[in-house]
Amino acid sequence: MIRRCASLVLIVCLALSGAGGGCASQKNQQQVDMAVMDYYSGNYADAQHKLTPLAEKTNEDFVINNLRLGSVLLPPYELDEAEAAFLRAWEVINSTGVNAGGRTLGAVLVDEKIKVWKGEPFERAMASFYLGLIYYIRQDYGNARGAFENALFKLRDVDPDKAKDQGRDVESDFALASLMLAKSFQRLGREDLAKANFQYVIEHHPQLAALADYDWNEKSNLLLVVDYGYGPRKVTDFDGAIVGFGPTPFEEGPLPQPMVTIDGRPMDISNIARPPIDLLAMAQERKWQSIDTIRTVKSAVGTGLIWGGAITGIDAANNKSGNRQRDNLIVAGALIGTGLLLKATSQADIRQWEMLPRTTYVIPLKVDPGSHDVTVEFPSHRQVWRNLAVPARGEATYYMRMQRWNSGPFDWPPPAVQHQTGEMASN
Amino acid sequence: MNADNEKMKSGCFYLRSSAFICGVTFLLAGCSSAVSQGHNTALSGVDLVQMTDDMAMKIAGDPQVQAAIAAKGALKVVVLPVENQMRAEVLPQGQAEAFVGRVRTLLARHAPQDFTWIMNRDTFYRLRGKELEGVEPGPSPDAISPDYSLTAVFTSLADEDAKHRSSFYICRYELADLKDRTVLWTESYEVKKIAVKGMLD
Repeated sequence: MIRRCASLVLIVCLALSGAGGGCASQKNQQQVDMAVMDYYSGNYADAQHKLTPLAEKTNEDFVINNLRLGSVLLPPYELDEAEAAFLRAWEVINSTGVNAGGRTLGAVLVDEKIKVWKGEPFERAMASFYLGLIYYIRQDYGNARGAFENALFKLRDVDPDKAKDQGRDVESDFALASLMLAKSFQRLGREDLAKANFQYVIEHHPQLAALADYDWNEKSNLLLVVDYGYGPRKVTDFDGAIVGFGPTPFEEGPLPQPMVTIDGRPMDISNIARPPIDLLAMAQERKWQSIDTIRTVKSAVGTGLIWGGAITGIDAANNKSGNRQRDNLIVAGALIGTGLLLKATSQADIRQWEMLPRTTYVIPLKVDPGSHDVTVEFPSHRQVWRNLAVPARGEATYYMRMQRWNSGPFDWPPPAVQHQTGEMASN
Repeated sequence: MNADNEKMKSGCFYLRSSAFICGVTFLLAGCSSAVSQGHNTALSGVDLVQMTDDMAMKIAGDPQVQAAIAAKGALKVVVLPVENQMRAEVLPQGQAEAFVGRVRTLLARHAPQDFTWIMNRDTFYRLRGKELEGVEPGPSPDAISPDYSLTAVFTSLADEDAKHRSSFYICRYELADLKDRTVLWTESYEVKKIAVKGMLD
């Protein structure tokens, strides 16, 4: 009797802890949703406040929460904290066996969300890109180069039309990282490697020829890196199982070209302000996805079992009697039950890095050294920065996140940079 | 007979319950933290210790270094952060300083009479920023000129595909004479790392 009670208590405790975990997870998701809304409205401080405690938890959302945190820290130039957040995520993304043991078993048998999120290949590439961008802004070109190279690691290309295609490893065509890698080599004085990478961009993306021009980039002393629009969203079908990405570039329309005004004077950037990537288009390519087939198979088998159970049940009800009928109805019930269980545990993992842009414009400019007011304008977005410092030698890099509801004007240096330069000035 | 059956049924129930509880507990226990399970090919703390122990020992025991010490007295050395030339790897500032800083610490501890360590300019200015917090950085770097520099350059070959990620590192340390730019001592630490990808990687 005591043993039975003890077992019961244990089961209840486990159930309660599971339910408690579920409530905690729901609360975390609410926090994330609110932080994402803050980010969309340009309220980065509040978003940071909400995401910081979540990013500290080393649970299955550790990577994604650190990427989200990194994204909200970049626009206000909190570069040290952004670097730390991206590095934390980077380390796990670049690790293998993170999901070994219970997490793999749990993801297969119970719920895919149990696995530690490491993102789709395009999300991993963007994580490396942002880490590289932070180093590039700081003029730490050695580390920038390393991060951009990591963004360009090979991808698995699978032909969706060939059922048994095992795939092959292909070179990444992530032009954004190739371009920034070329620029990093150029700043490191590696002319040969810079030219090779610029050439690679020009050959594979002829529309970026002017942007990847070696001489133009060498003369540039002001680089604007502008995130525009929003990236792809994971979408599920009616039973929440199969995942795809939306919207498509066709649904969303073509990417607009930005206009840049410096001290009220429009710059002629029509041939260089071209989008190096379109994440909406990339997300539609199989090689930029890692959507596994576990849940798809589970869902399909589940559907088959439910249909099989239903047919067996109908057959038993109409054509059988006595013990035979009873046995067949039990079999039908078991098939339907198993099918429902499989369907219930094949819900798609729709966690995604919501802050990703649709594209990132890289705009190298040559302007007179000194302080300048810079405006970047799109048909429905605008951002104004006052007193951007432009050096006589070298290249100053400024990151801008276009937000519909927060167009500025912003003053340079922002508080985070002011704090850092204040420390340096006191030296 | 009935009593035996009852006993057996009861035993089976406990067995099943225990198996279920063990299974669920095992499953939950298996869900370790995101940072405790993984394996990657980056240089680790173990490499830091092995590499710096090795380098400190080799510098201290090098005949040419010993000859220079015998001729000039304690060598005035400035330590510079590691230069990152690794493929697809980053080396944040703290780590770049740690990989040379530990060599300095080991030598300062084990051969204090052989080396005089001069703070590099960046560290000096960083510390000066903390003067108000009571940190005394010492004399300005302009007032003392080092004769030697201890530097390190890390290079690597790396590759990644759908099945694995591999990196081969060569971490080269140099003690160079700043006056004539000759290399007094150089050594390297080499390590290869491979991480095999699993089902959910």
